[in-house]
Amino acid sequence: MKKLHIKQLIEKIEGEAELDFTFNEGKIEDVKINFGFYRGIEEILQGKDARDALVITPRVCGICNHAHLLAAVRAIENGYENAGQKIELTSKAKEIREFTLACELIQNHIKWLYMTLLPQIESYLDCTSEENYAVKASYLASKITKALAIFAGQWPHSSYAVPGGVTCDPTYVDVMQAQSLVDECITFFEQVVTELPLDTYLNIEYCADLHNIGGDFGKLLQLIGSSGMTEIGKSHDRFIVFGDCILSKSGKSIGTKVTNVNSKYVKETEQVGTVAKAVTYKERLYEVGPLARGMVAKRAIVKNLHKRYKDSLLTRVFARIHEVATLLAYSKNLLSNLNLEEASCTLDLHARLQNFEGTGVVEAARGALIHKTTVKEGRITNYDIITPTQWNLSHGTKGEHGIAIEAMLGSKSIEEATFIFRTFDVCSVCTTQ
Amino acid sequence: MKIAEKKAIKRESIIQTALQLFSVNGFHKTTIPDIAGKLQMSVGNLYNYFSSKDILAQEIIKYTSETLGKKIRVVNELDVSAEQKIHKIVDIYFTMAKEKPEMIEYFLRVYLSNREVFSGDCQGMVCVSGFITEIMVFFDDAVSSGELRNQDFFSAFGLFMGYLGGMVFLKGEDVLPQGIEFYIDDISRNIYNALKA
Amino acid sequence: MKPKLLWLQAITCNGNTHSFLNHPDLFSILSHFEIVHHPALDGSYSMEDVIAGSVPCDILILEGSFVEEGFLKGGIEVSKLIKTYANKAKHIISAGTCATFGGIFKQKDPDKISGFCFDLGEKTSRYASYASKLVSLPGCPMHPKWMSYVLMMIANNRVIEIDNLHRPVELYGYTVHTGCTRNEYFEWKIDTKNFGLKEGCLFYEQGCQGPHTRGSCNKILWNDVSSKTRSGTPCFGCTEPTFPQISLYSTKTNMGIPAKMPLGIPRRAYLTLTGVTKSFKIKRFTERLMDYDK
Repeated sequence: MKKLHIKQLIEKIEGEAELDFTFNEGKIEDVKINFGFYRGIEEILQGKDARDALVITPRVCGICNHAHLLAAVRAIENGYENAGQKIELTSKAKEIREFTLACELIQNHIKWLYMTLLPQIESYLDCTSEENYAVKASYLASKITKALAIFAGQWPHSSYAVPGGVTCDPTYVDVMQAQSLVDECITFFEQVVTELPLDTYLNIEYCADLHNIGGDFGKLLQLIGSSGMTEIGKSHDRFIVFGDCILSKSGKSIGTKVTNVNSKYVKETEQVGTVAKAVTYKERLYEVGPLARGMVAKRAIVKNLHKRYKDSLLTRVFARIHEVATLLAYSKNLLSNLNLEEASCTLDLHARLQNFEGTGVVEAARGALIHKTTVKEGRITNYDIITPTQWNLSHGTKGEHGIAIEAMLGSKSIEEATFIFRTFDVCSVCTTQ
Repeated sequence: MKIAEKKAIKRESIIQTALQLFSVNGFHKTTIPDIAGKLQMSVGNLYNYFSSKDILAQEIIKYTSETLGKKIRVVNELDVSAEQKIHKIVDIYFTMAKEKPEMIEYFLRVYLSNREVFSGDCQGMVCVSGFITEIMVFFDDAVSSGELRNQDFFSAFGLFMGYLGGMVFLKGEDVLPQGIEFYIDDISRNIYNALKA
Repeated sequence: MKPKLLWLQAITCNGNTHSFLNHPDLFSILSHFEIVHHPALDGSYSMEDVIAGSVPCDILILEGSFVEEGFLKGGIEVSKLIKTYANKAKHIISAGTCATFGGIFKQKDPDKISGFCFDLGEKTSRYASYASKLVSLPGCPMHPKWMSYVLMMIANNRVIEIDNLHRPVELYGYTVHTGCTRNEYFEWKIDTKNFGLKEGCLFYEQGCQGPHTRGSCNKILWNDVSSKTRSGTPCFGCTEPTFPQISLYSTKTNMGIPAKMPLGIPRRAYLTLTGVTKSFKIKRFTERLMDYDK
C-alpha cells in the first residue's frame, strides 16, 4: 500500500506548527514537525551588555518568560562563580524567585487544562459542553500572576531577578496580599478543579483513588479513561530533569531507574526541514516536563500510574495537572515562612565582571530550560538557549524517533495524533527562538 | 524709567560698591554704613534692599555667579569645539580677573574664606548654581560629542576650577611676572590636554 | 451586530496575547465583540479559514513585527494575510512595540523587519494606506487595560484621541515616572545604593528610563498591583520606538550628568535644580523608610 502524506497545521500551541504525517496501511508511521520562522534571539543578544539578557531572553516566550529570566540570571551568576566571584543569594531572594516561578508554572498548567486540553478532548470525542472554560483559566491566571507581580513588578516580562538576588524589597503588606491570592487560588483548585480539599488531593497515591477526583480534572480523567486513551501516547519511557526545584531534583529516569545528570552532555543539533534544533543527552532522546519531574522525583501517584499505564497520555496529562497542587501547597508554605529581614540583593551595584562563561538551568512549565552565556569585555559573544519543547519535539536520532513523534506512531487518525501531540504542551515560540 | 527698573539699577550699584569696598578694606572691616555712605544713601534705605550684611554677602555671590554664568552660557551656545570653548572660558575668567578683580577676589577671599556667613541659606552649591550649571552644560556637551573623556564630574571640575582659581589667587598676591592674559593660551592647552578623550 | 475581532500574529513571542488574557474583566469586554480568531481563545473560524483570506474582520489586532517576505503560515506570506485583513478592517490596533515600531525582533534583520506602519519612529510605506484606521499600543508587552480602553472606545463609537505615532493620548500622555513610589528620591536626587532597596531613585545609575518614557505603568498598575519601578526594577523604555537600547541596567552619563533628560525638561533647568537639591542633606532620605522615629 502506498504511503500517504498529510500535512496538518496545528494552531494554539503558543503559535503554530505544521505536522507532516506519513500514513502506512492506515497507521501513522512517521511525523515531521515543522516550525516556520526563526526569530534569532541568540543572534540579537550578541554584542549586548551581559545583563541585557535579563530583558531580552524573557521575550522568547509570552507564557514562560519568567523561567527565561531566571535561567538568564542563573547563567550570569554561574559565570561569576566560574570566574572566581562568589555569589551568595540570601534564602529570602532564593525563595522569592522560587515563588514567582511557581506562580508562572501554575498559570501555565491551568491555561493548558482549560484552554487546550478540555476543549480539544471534548472536540475530539464529540462531546462539547457549553462551558466557557477560558473564563476559569483567565480567573486563575490573573490571580496567580497578580501574586507574582507583587514581587516581580509585572507579568508578563518582568526583569526583577538580577545577579545577587532580586530588585524588590517587600514588606509584610506585600506578603499578606500574596498569601490571600494564593489562598484564593487554592480554593479555586479545591472547588472547581478537583472538588477535593488540597491536602486530601495531595495524599492520593494509588490509581484506585483517582476516581475520588471530581471537578474539571475529574471530568478530564474520566473522558480519557472511558475512551480508551489510557494506553496511547506512549514514548521511549525516558525522562530527564536539569533544574533543582521543589518539584524534583535534577536527574534522569530510564523507566523507573533514576541516576544523575550533568548539563555538559547536552547537545543541540540542526535538523532538516525545520528551524527547530534537536536536543540529546549523551546522544539519546529524553522527555522533559511534568511527567519527567514526577518520575525523577519518584512521586508516589505518578509512579503508580506509570506502573500501570507507563508513559501513556494518561500519565502525562495527570502529572502536569498534579504539579498545580504541589506548587500551590509549596507556595502557601513558602510565603508563611518568608524571612524579610535578609537582604534582597547581595552583589554590589558596581561589581560587574567583564569576562565569564556560565550556564543557567530552570525547570520551566514544560521542562528543562538551559541558557548558556559567554561574555567578553562586558559584552555577550555567544548565547545558547535550549528550550523544553526542543527536547520533546526533536525529530529523532539514527536509532529512534523523537519523543512526541514516537507517542504519535501507530495512531490511526490525525485527530487522535494531534491530541496526543497537544498533551506535550507544545510551545511554538520557544522552539523558534 | 519705571520704579522696578530704578530699583534694579540701585540694587546693582549697591552690590558693585560693596564689592569694591570689600576688595579694598576687607570683608569684616567694611560695614553697611560704609557702603551706604559711599552711595550717598541712608542706611535705612540700604536695609530696604538687603536686610543684613550676611544677606548682602549671599546675594553678591549669586550675582557674581550669574554674571559669570551668563558669559559662559554664550560660549556654550557657540558652534565651536570643546578645545575652543575651554579657551574662551579661561579668557572670560581671566579677563574678569583683570577688569573686575573685585568679583573674582570676592569669590576666593570672601566666599571661600567665610563659610559661616554662607552656610545657612547658601549651603552647598545653591548660591553658585548660575555658574555651576553652565560648567555642567559644558562638560555634558563635550563628553557627549566625544571630545572630553567621561569621568567623575568633580574630578574634572576640580581640575578646571582649581587651576583657574589658583592662577587668580597668584595674581592677587602679585606673584605673576606677566599680566594674567599672558597665561590664557598655555592654561587652556593644559586643561584641554588633561581632560580630552 | 457585534464588531468582528481578528487577532493576527506575525513575528511575536505572544507576550501581548498573555498580557491581555490577564485582564480581570476579560470576558465582559469580549462580550461586546465577536471573536473571529484569536491565538488562544475560541473564535468563530479556524486558522485555516483565516489563512484562506475569507473571514470577516472589523477590528484587526496585530501582534508581532512585520516582514514583507520569508514568513509563511500554511503556505501564505503572513504579510499578505495582514494586508488582506488590514484592508477589510475598520480599525487596526498594533498591539505591542514589535507590531508598532519593530521592537526586539527587528534587531534580527533591521533592514527587512519593522513595525507595520512605523519603522522605529519613521513611517513605513504602508503608513499612508492604513493611518486613518490605526491605533498604536506600544509596550513590551502592552498593558491589558490599554487594549480594553481602545476596544471599549470602539464599542462605544467614540473617537480616540491619538498623537503623531497614533498612541492614545489618554494612555501615553503620562510618563512611566508619573506615580512611581520613589518620586521623592527623584525630586531630591537621591540615588539608590543598590538593587533590592525600596529607598532611592533608579534614574541616576540603574538605567531607569521612566522620566522620559511615555506610558501609564505607574498610574494603571501592572496586574492591578505593581510596576517595574515599584518593585525596584528600572524602566527599560519598552513603549518607545527605540526599544530596546543597550546596557539597560545602567544610566548613560556624561561626567555624572544623565545623558537623557526627563521628558520636556530643559537641561539647564534640570542642572540648576540638581545643583540646588544636591546641596541639601535631608535626613529622612538618608534613612530607611521604615526606620523613622516611631
